Amino acid sequence: MSQNGHGMGLFTDDADTADGALVRRVLAGEVEAYAGLVERYREEFGRYAASLCRDEDIAADAMQEAFIRAFERLESCRDPDRFGAWFFRILTNQCHNHRDRRRKHVALDTVAVAGPERTDRRVTQEEIRALIDRALDQLTPDLRETFVLREIDGRSYAEIAGLLETNEAALRKRVERAREMVRTALEEWL
Amino acid sequence: MTTDKHWADEMHRFLDGEGPAPADEATRREGERYRELLAAYREDLEAPGPEVNRAVMAVVRDRGSARQRAFWRWFVRPREVRVSPLLAAAGLAVVIGLSAAVASLTTRDAGPGMTVAAARPGTVLVQFELQAPNAEQVALAGSFNGWSDSTLVARRDPATGLWTLTVPLPPGEHEYLFVVDGEQWMPDPRAHAQVDDGFGNVNSMIVVGPRGVVKS
Repeated sequence: MSQNGHGMGLFTDDADTADGALVRRVLAGEVEAYAGLVERYREEFGRYAASLCRDEDIAADAMQEAFIRAFERLESCRDPDRFGAWFFRILTNQCHNHRDRRRKHVALDTVAVAGPERTDRRVTQEEIRALIDRALDQLTPDLRETFVLREIDGRSYAEIAGLLETNEAALRKRVERAREMVRTALEEWL
Repeated sequence: MTTDKHWADEMHRFLDGEGPAPADEATRREGERYRELLAAYREDLEAPGPEVNRAVMAVVRDRGSARQRAFWRWFVRPREVRVSPLLAAAGLAVVIGLSAAVASLTTRDAGPGMTVAAARPGTVLVQFELQAPNAEQVALAGSFNGWSDSTLVARRDPATGLWTLTVPLPPGEHEYLFVVDGEQWMPDPRAHAQVDDGFGNVNSMIVVGPRGVVKS
């Protein structure tokens, strides 16, 4: 279950504000109805985007672009009731693109993390952020998505399986693989 | 190259909240430390704020109205259309077919020797028929054409010998006769009525109402 209690594209029982209803209203010309979807999925996937992009500002840009792209392609959303899962793919691609673009221009590892010679093993919040970010850099894009959804966002395997369109058994294997890669990267701090 | 360390299933179940902490003290501490680091990282993450909503909606509103304007421009702007002859022929065939279908739907039987179809406003198309297989020519003369014997000439179906002619007539009573081979004036045997012309002869008569022929 995600942190705010929403689940995989089924974000409300209210027929008027359900994803499908909002998408259809937008397609019918009621542009303002799109604000409901933006608010819902900014909150739902905001932290995921921030973690994937490794930077809140980059995440904001990626989300903004993802929402605009989704709006422009809304006619191609074949199942309006699953707008969330459809938008998730657009957002994920945007996050990877923004992250890669940023990495070409800026050295991301700007925070110096104390080495293993430190004896008290206490690290600052900033150092933890840099440590985990660096560990996530070791993951392939699909492992990074899976790891963030499970370990950072705390979503259920069933929900992640729906978002990533894979089965739960395969997903558990991916999570285990990602965990062990992160563990290796964090080894000196564990 | 770094070799990834493998955690036992027991550790993964613990991290998933599906099992107890590992029995081994060092392993348990490692699992707990891993959780603490991730929790601290999670706490530090900030989701993009409401400024995203404002920025998105500003663009969406603009593009939404631009999309409507673009649609309208597309709709009203003259443009060159390239169509292959084959497609044009197919389209024409469809139009003709539809026209025929509509015509057949709007045509209704008005009685013996006549059918009525929709015509231009103020008139009704009346089709006259005469079975005369041996005739060389059949014309229609009546009150509607000044009893001319040559202006309304019927067409013969060679297979059946049926002569037909369609004439737009305004509502009202109309008297008429067929003129066979330019010299034989004869009433329509299938007319709704035959009336005396006041000179000892008989004329055929139809009554045309605003929605078709009215039986007399």
